[in-house]
Amino acid sequence: MQEQHLQDILRRLPAGVATLEGPELRYSFVNEAFRRLLDAGELLGRAVAEVPGPWPADLLGVMQQVYRTGQGHVAKACPLCNDPAARDEGVYYDITLEPICAADGAVSGLLLFVVDVTVQEQARQRTHELAIETRRLDARLRVLSETAPQITFTIDAAGRYEYVSPQWYFFTGQPRTSDLNAIGPLLIHPDDRLRVLYQSEAARNSGTGWSYEYRLRRHDGQYRWMLSRALPELHTAATQPTHWHGALTEIHDQRELSEALRRGEAELRFLADSIPELIWTASAEGFVEYYNQYTGDYSGLTTTELGPTGWINLLHPDEQAGAARLWVHSVATGEDYEGVFRMRRHDGRYRWHIIRARQLTDGQALRWFGACTDVDDQHRLRQVLQTQYDELAQANRDLDTFVYTASHDLKQPVLNLRGLFDELRRTASFHDPEKSQMLVMVDEALTQLDLTLQELAATVRDQRGLSAPPEELDVRHVAEEVLLGLRVQVQQSGAEIELDTDEAPLLTYGRANLRSVLHNLISNALKFAHPDRTPHVQVRSFRTQEGHPGLQVRDNGLGMVLPDEPAAVFQPFTRQHPHIGGSGVGLYLVQRIVSSRGGRLDVASTVGEGTTFTIYWKNEAAEDPA
Amino acid sequence: MKHIVYLSRAVRPLSDQDLQELLAQCRRDNARNGITGILFYSHGNIAQLFEGEDAVADMLFDKIAQDGRHSHVQKLIDRPISHRSFADWHMAFHPIKSAGFETLQGFLLPHRVPPPPETLSIADATLVELVRLAVFGPDAATPAPQAQR
Repeated sequence: MQEQHLQDILRRLPAGVATLEGPELRYSFVNEAFRRLLDAGELLGRAVAEVPGPWPADLLGVMQQVYRTGQGHVAKACPLCNDPAARDEGVYYDITLEPICAADGAVSGLLLFVVDVTVQEQARQRTHELAIETRRLDARLRVLSETAPQITFTIDAAGRYEYVSPQWYFFTGQPRTSDLNAIGPLLIHPDDRLRVLYQSEAARNSGTGWSYEYRLRRHDGQYRWMLSRALPELHTAATQPTHWHGALTEIHDQRELSEALRRGEAELRFLADSIPELIWTASAEGFVEYYNQYTGDYSGLTTTELGPTGWINLLHPDEQAGAARLWVHSVATGEDYEGVFRMRRHDGRYRWHIIRARQLTDGQALRWFGACTDVDDQHRLRQVLQTQYDELAQANRDLDTFVYTASHDLKQPVLNLRGLFDELRRTASFHDPEKSQMLVMVDEALTQLDLTLQELAATVRDQRGLSAPPEELDVRHVAEEVLLGLRVQVQQSGAEIELDTDEAPLLTYGRANLRSVLHNLISNALKFAHPDRTPHVQVRSFRTQEGHPGLQVRDNGLGMVLPDEPAAVFQPFTRQHPHIGGSGVGLYLVQRIVSSRGGRLDVASTVGEGTTFTIYWKNEAAEDPA
Repeated sequence: MKHIVYLSRAVRPLSDQDLQELLAQCRRDNARNGITGILFYSHGNIAQLFEGEDAVADMLFDKIAQDGRHSHVQKLIDRPISHRSFADWHMAFHPIKSAGFETLQGFLLPHRVPPPPETLSIADATLVELVRLAVFGPDAATPAPQAQR
């Protein structure tokens, strides 16, 4: 019963058990597990060498040796498999070979004990691989932490250094043998020491990481700003961390730089805020981001109330559109901005300011810097002077014109008078010889008068350069000169001037004459602009069908009522728009110039739409009364 | 009633189809919420002026600020107004293929954008001109010639 029970246990054992007998090593007992292992049919009585087994090549030799010597043997972790391809799946067995001794002590057979150790073997192999990987990672981490410019460290919960990378020793100049925990705190700047110790302890007590800056003494004794950052090593949420790993980075230069920048910016801002001018900066897109203190004081509005384009609201309503247009133009082209505008003070009074802005291109973002300088007093004075000057110049011109025309117009009556006197002398007789002497005197006086008139006309003509000899002129050139003189008026009205001289670029004419004609026509067009629209003045030099040169000045201004008698427009001192300043001699002069050089002036106009003046420099229509 | 102007950058360039969908969606939503205004888009630059009742406009801006399709949202102006300046809501951009877009409701080619309405203050109109310049650049930014009166 006992024997049977034992046999039963052996048969069911999960390990393979077999006995071999005799020097041929024939199977004498095989259990279930062993049979499955070999999968070779009936085994009992067959020699081990006859049955192809999954044994390692040298195992049969080992069996023989065990049989001979009686010394047991254990083959650990044998990859036991019939199919070599299946070996990779990794099935491993421990094979124990034990001699079976007969009663006389001589070896009579072998006991084979085969245990599956695949799981253990796999675990062992994995452990081995992990160890290699860990060594590799460790080496990598060490190389990385020792080559990085930062100092890396590990601190335990008590705040003691467990590891610090060699950079710490290089940086501080301390020997490798120094006691880090003792000397470490002493190297921190005295002003920062307590704070750092407190912050570090507080972070460790609460189990969090930290990030703070302090000054650490370098090997040369200089204190340098460092950034210390560390994180706790957390394994589970429940337990308190026991280690903190972190890095120390030198941030001295950045800190100095940003400090300098902050200081510089603060100083600049202070400077800008101290200047009694309106100072502002705008983004590249033209949105004002900063107004200085004085802007607030002057306008009585805050930066938010002003907003990105709010400065326009401060300008006089008449000037807002022009100023805004100029600003958009500057932002689009990058050209400097400059203009003179009235700006409203907090008390509602407008004062003249020069607004200037320039773009700063320092390689980074573009920015605009602007300033509004109060020039109210100068401007008003200049305006007064300018007005007086203009009036005087106008009066002077008018006088010239008047003298010129008067002398011209008086010629005919003088001529008539002389004729009458000649007739009188011929027909009338005087009894008193002294009386006839008077005729001579009158005659002389008339000659004198005629001469004086001629001289007057010549003087005015010479002074104004109207008698200059004709020369070949570039019409565009002369027109641009004239426009330069009218720059202020053009700017103020925002007028668009179109010059087209392609058809007849050259003209042989007196320079001063052409200039005078252009000046009068263009300034008229600007002066009589329609208040509701942008003045548009078109100056065109053309050729008639006969090939004679002509000039046309067209505007979109107020227009005028043409009198029935065309010549009346050009009478001196006739003013079409009495509400607009002027002496009314401009057109008269133009006509005089043109006709004196053999040309003709035409005008076409529609009230409210505009006026077109056309000059034919050579009057080919001889029968034309003009 | 208030109006809000902002600038932003699209996270990725918007395709014709994206723009068309955006246009349709915004027109539908804005018409329902009584929002009027104009949106400019070009090469990832976005600018919008919209006007509406205070609460609606604020809510719309909050929604816009959190929209993941764009970033760097920069509010330029947020100010009460007494009356609307835009009758409708429009969107102006350069489609890659302009065919078919011309007839789309609410769509404008950048060079067809009318000048800012005259009911806007000159300062606000200048702001609109500047955002248009910022979005389209100086070349396309010249406004359509104003109708002669």
